[in-house]
Amino acid sequence: MKTIKDKVAKLSFVALLIAVSTAMFYTPTASAHGEKSQAAFMRMRTIHWYDLDWSKSQVAVNETVTISGKFHVFKGWPETVAKPEVSFLNIGIPGPVFIRAASYIGGQLVPRSVTLELGETYDFKVLLKARRPGDWHVHTMMNVEDGGPIIGPGKFIRITGSMSQFTNPVTTLTGKTIDIETWGLGDIYFYSFLWIGIGIAWMWYWCKSPVFVPRLIAVQAGKADSMISDTDKKVTMGFIAGTVALTAILMGSTNDAYPVTIPIQAGLMRDMVPLDIPEPTVSVNVDNASYRVPGRSMEMTLTITNNGDSGIRLGEFNTASVRFLDADVAEDEGSYPADLLAENGLSQSDNSPIAPGETRTISVSASDAAWEVYRLADLIYDPDSRFAGLLFFYDEAGNTQMVGIDAPLIPSFI
Amino acid sequence: MSASQSAVRSRAEAVSASRTLDYMILFTLFFIILGGYHIHFMLTGGDWDFWSDWKDRRLWVTVCPIVAITFPAAVQAVLWTRYRIAWGATVSILGLLFGEWINRYFNFWGWTYFPMNFVFPANFIPSAIFLDCVLVLSNSFTMTAIAGGMGWGLLFYPANWPIIAPLHLPVEYNGMMFTVADLSGYHYVRTGTPEYIRMVEKGTLRTFGKDVAPVSAFFSAFVSVIVYFVWHFFGLWFGKTDFVTST
Ligand SMILES: [Cu+2]
Repeated sequence: MKTIKDKVAKLSFVALLIAVSTAMFYTPTASAHGEKSQAAFMRMRTIHWYDLDWSKSQVAVNETVTISGKFHVFKGWPETVAKPEVSFLNIGIPGPVFIRAASYIGGQLVPRSVTLELGETYDFKVLLKARRPGDWHVHTMMNVEDGGPIIGPGKFIRITGSMSQFTNPVTTLTGKTIDIETWGLGDIYFYSFLWIGIGIAWMWYWCKSPVFVPRLIAVQAGKADSMISDTDKKVTMGFIAGTVALTAILMGSTNDAYPVTIPIQAGLMRDMVPLDIPEPTVSVNVDNASYRVPGRSMEMTLTITNNGDSGIRLGEFNTASVRFLDADVAEDEGSYPADLLAENGLSQSDNSPIAPGETRTISVSASDAAWEVYRLADLIYDPDSRFAGLLFFYDEAGNTQMVGIDAPLIPSFI
Repeated sequence: MSASQSAVRSRAEAVSASRTLDYMILFTLFFIILGGYHIHFMLTGGDWDFWSDWKDRRLWVTVCPIVAITFPAAVQAVLWTRYRIAWGATVSILGLLFGEWINRYFNFWGWTYFPMNFVFPANFIPSAIFLDCVLVLSNSFTMTAIAGGMGWGLLFYPANWPIIAPLHLPVEYNGMMFTVADLSGYHYVRTGTPEYIRMVEKGTLRTFGKDVAPVSAFFSAFVSVIVYFVWHFFGLWFGKTDFVTST
């Protein structure tokens, strides 16, 4: 007996371990820090986020912070990534530490997936209401169907207070104000566990009498068909009739309690309104570009033609959310994440204004540790070794023009 | 003591040993079913069961009963043929629900802070009791597959309606209409589950107008009948003792 007991105990323990670990292992992805692991070309040639602003760096529970800016959908979208025909403006946060109170593209609320056009620029805004205290990295993010998540820059926001104070009230079209955070919980627990109780009662009825060994012996002795008594059958009829009746009654009482309900809402949203950006009056040709591995710097020769009527200077090269600025020309207003900002990372052979009508060839280098930290240098190991990014030109009045570039890249290892 | 001697010396001892075994086997069986069934259901029913904004009148109603009837069919095949045990489907569902509630409460809510009214599991108990009762009353797997499988599929939506109806109230929010469940899905950010992954209200049942839930339930019930047969034979095969050589 003892050895059997030991064996069964061991088996039970193993089963318990398997079950508990399998039941426990699944948690919806809470982390939002995949940005560095994403292929460099994906970050350089898909969605470019710019003019970003995180309205606050610290909020109390129930307060709202707004992340706003623009994103440019790159014309040279890589062949290997699905086009953004079905895309969802998401936000990269570790689980629902904020709730997404609203999100807009071009002023239109976008709770569902949208279609984006290559080459267009859109403005966007995401309103987040603080829910759970802590320091959270908040990223802009676009999910593209069959393309995966495209993560933009992230910034830390601190939430203070206590989650127990969080409320999420809305008013239904039936005129009732409810708190989504807790609405319906009573019904969920009551009906779920009422039925679980009935299920246990069904098992308990049968498990009152011997369960396994004697029944196995009886079945093997050919007595199977006499093992269900008349009482058993009556109880079974009670259970089946009771189950059907109770289901019908509860369905009826629910319909009385909630006469107005609607189906789950879904569907693709088209016709997102892009920003009306005039054709740039600057044209740029990338004559050549190389990445110097030891110097962590990218060097390119650009031929720039100014077709406008004001002198222009190159102030910024923005790629994969890293901003290389020429401090003589441009500076950040102060809210951009420091690790993605190379305030003095852009140097030019000649950064004097390019006069209207002038064409000038300059060599430009963009260098910063960010090439390594953000694994952009991995670009040189891509099958399609190209780089891409946005150049920002500043005219005399301080207006900016954005020009996308997309060209092959030759690495230099010495 | 030699192997030929009995481990027990009296009838009372035999009865108590048998009872101890009952509890141990029941405990083991419960957790083995839980482990296998829970993983199976996560992989096949997955998001439809995780999130309230996936619990729609078309695909949720169709998919969940079909992928859930598997283990109950297999467990019934073994327990009824070998032991005449009447609760094969119910023990499977209780195991599944035990695993799911632990997972949802401790991981989805406790660890990741999704509200429970967004991540509760669906209720399968009425379907399971129905399946068990048909087997006891008919003593026929064919009848259980056909009548039981139909009941299994048809009971699913009404059995869950008291739980999900409050979440289907209409809300106007920033100029668009949502159900409360849609709004939960929008508010409580799932970084890894973008909206387009959601498979709801898709399909070609538009001609039925607004009464698609019964049509979906009937379709689901028919397929459940077929799946019941298939998994019945899986169960019989898996419950064979040929693997164990007698010593
Ligand atoms: Cu981050």
